[in-house]
Amino acid sequence: MRDNVKIALPGYVKYKGKGFYAFILHRISGLATIVFLTLHITTTATVFFAPQWYDVLVEIFRNPVIMIAEIILAFFVIYHGVNGLRIAYVDLIRPDLWKKKPTRKLMSASLIVAIILWLPAAGILGYNLLKYGFNLFGS
Amino acid sequence: MTNSERTAVKQPRYEIFAWKWMRYSAFLLIPLVWIHAIIQDFITGGHNLSLEYVHMRWAVFGWRVYDIFLLAFAFSHGVNGLRQVLLDYTKSESVAKTINRAMFIFWLVFTTIGAIALIYGVRTP
Repeated sequence: MRDNVKIALPGYVKYKGKGFYAFILHRISGLATIVFLTLHITTTATVFFAPQWYDVLVEIFRNPVIMIAEIILAFFVIYHGVNGLRIAYVDLIRPDLWKKKPTRKLMSASLIVAIILWLPAAGILGYNLLKYGFNLFGS
Repeated sequence: MTNSERTAVKQPRYEIFAWKWMRYSAFLLIPLVWIHAIIQDFITGGHNLSLEYVHMRWAVFGWRVYDIFLLAFAFSHGVNGLRQVLLDYTKSESVAKTINRAMFIFWLVFTTIGAIALIYGVRTP
């Protein structure tokens, strides 16, 4: 039998009382990123395997719906990075911080840092969405 | 919960390696991925991507090495993460074994596809 089995995502929302949203957000952002990464590797690899498709595929990524998804993905990647850094730091360097109070503090800190880092990215991507996705600002 | 309690469960050696791999590769992925995203999305801009652009970029050997690093570290980190998520949903040892094999094949196939494209570069039609 395998130990430490986590049965379902909803069970984790209530994992150890409340407040362990970082676990859920880290997983969801990680899963979204690996889906993107797989598509990204495949589409980029067409430059060798099927160069005539590359520009067609890039054109699909300019679709406004995908550009909106990109803004969300940017948040996921930034959050996953900041929160992952927290986990790696506490696990490898300061394991004594694995207690309820400091964990909760660092969890909020990584969410806030991620949002602050994401805002300029969302601004630039949002501008591109309006300019290229919806053809605003004349072009 | 202390760190020793978290890792108290007896794990096979490769699981301990995978656990460390996720953390060490994370430190490397922060600069690798973020520099990549800043250059491609903000300095170059997604709307400027084209076959010629990739051709130009990969004409610089250093960028190919950079991309090899990205492919190696980001994709192995991602697939191992996916593997750990999937393993959390099974109690059966044999299902876990199947997940491990499937994830290894998944990793190998896409890493190979990416590596071939990186090594041979843009094929001019």
